[in-house]
Amino acid sequence: MNQILQILMLGLCLGGVYALMSSGMTLIFGVMRIVNLAHAAFIVLGAYLAFWLFKLWHVDPIVSVAVTMPALFLIGIGYYRLVFARRADNPRFTDLTVLITFATGLVIEGVLAFFFTGIYRSTTPVYAQKSFLFGDFFLPQSQVYATVISIVLIVSLWLFLRYTRIGNAIRATMQNRNAAQVVGVNVTWISTLAFGIGLAMAGASGSLISFIFTFYPAKHVAWIGMIMCLVVLGGMGSLMGSLVASFLLATAAAFVNFYFGASYAPITFYLALFLILLFRPQGLFGKKVEG
Amino acid sequence: MGTLVIENVVAGYGSGPDILKGLSLTVESCKAYCIIGPNGAGKSTLIKTIAGLLKPRSGRIVFKGEDISGLRADQVLQRGLCYVPSDRSLFPDMTVKENLRMGGFVMRDSRLVDQRIDELFVQFPILKEKSAQLAKTLSGGQQQLVAIARAMVLKPEMIMLDEPSLGLSPKVVQQIFGTITGLRDQGLTILLVEQNARKGLQISDVGVVLDLGTNSFEASACDVLNDPRIQELYLGKRHQTEAAEECQ
Repeated sequence: MNQILQILMLGLCLGGVYALMSSGMTLIFGVMRIVNLAHAAFIVLGAYLAFWLFKLWHVDPIVSVAVTMPALFLIGIGYYRLVFARRADNPRFTDLTVLITFATGLVIEGVLAFFFTGIYRSTTPVYAQKSFLFGDFFLPQSQVYATVISIVLIVSLWLFLRYTRIGNAIRATMQNRNAAQVVGVNVTWISTLAFGIGLAMAGASGSLISFIFTFYPAKHVAWIGMIMCLVVLGGMGSLMGSLVASFLLATAAAFVNFYFGASYAPITFYLALFLILLFRPQGLFGKKVEG
Repeated sequence: MGTLVIENVVAGYGSGPDILKGLSLTVESCKAYCIIGPNGAGKSTLIKTIAGLLKPRSGRIVFKGEDISGLRADQVLQRGLCYVPSDRSLFPDMTVKENLRMGGFVMRDSRLVDQRIDELFVQFPILKEKSAQLAKTLSGGQQQLVAIARAMVLKPEMIMLDEPSLGLSPKVVQQIFGTITGLRDQGLTILLVEQNARKGLQISDVGVVLDLGTNSFEASACDVLNDPRIQELYLGKRHQTEAAEECQ
């Protein structure tokens, strides 16, 4: 019993981080119908940024969130303006974005590998090696911090979307782009902003995973599969959905990891994806697409 | 001198062909105009171009003496010219009240928006009743009413409606047209695009026939209803006598 509780806690401790990793991709898909296959590559980019800040100037990776978020926000704005803004009216826009972002992911991977080689990296703040102990249970401090900060960021994002004028405009654009235009929302501007926010979330994820996972330039290939599973499982474009999916799958993966070994843990995600596509293709919180 | 003057407007989508091919039209204030014409004549394109959702390739659109061609949609809204699209285009996962609030998006003063919404609740009690309901749970007629009320939040001087009867049952169509007549009686200028040409013309002052992207015929709604050529093309001939009676 204790063992099960322990695994459950470890799983939940990772859930928040997974949720943060998928939240940006969910937002980007929800607002712009862009399938951002480069999302994990941007997370790795954020992780490298956190790594060098830590290595060169001893900036705590948690503190570096304050750098990686704005940095990736600006990269997101530039990237959207340069690549997507002019193509947003293309009838096959979503198909197009799959190819464009896939290429972008490979470019980021190549550039990172060129400059920083393929060596496994991670930041090593003091709390990375420590655990909270209580009774028979333990929780790695790093995971607790990372998940708490992730949840704070996701809740802030949610409050922003729910209660601010710009947030309402983003939600309106997610629900009906045409109607948003009719009421006077500048959807091009809103899309650019939302893309920036989505990548800012990727930047924050990068900082936080830099001390809970090891990473290297090609690591994004493994992560994007996992993130895609979470986004689809949650119902493409539903923030709440990807949050629930993240906690669910992080916990499930922790159990698989314990009983079957670490190499089987990733299977959990794909198995869940397989099942959800079979029985509820619109995802947990998604809507059926009509017509 | 009309409130809205359209001069030789040419417009189309993307890099596609011209849909509007030099269209001119003068809309006088406080009157209702009904635009009819076959599919592909450019009726919706005209409304989208006026609303600022589509940039005219050439020509001028002047509203209350000001050139508005090429302005963004939000700028056109702020000048008192609103648009209700044909698919009603609500925000499905927002409540009726949130939808109405989005109607006031271009107004910075949220208290004023809430005040306007309260006024609209008096005018349309059904919306007050449904105010906390998600838009997607409403019937087609109620959704159309929300779409109209959402445009009214800005207290426009002129409202453009694209196919308000689309997909609604005859009884509900009657109600919606009743609402539109009510708006006209309030002194709004109305530009109505309608497939249901007979009904649209009946509640309008002026009828405009678009064909192949130009203004091919314009006359009082009554004359359009009674014109033998129009009857043959758009109204169905057998209704001739009926139409004449409606004009009395």
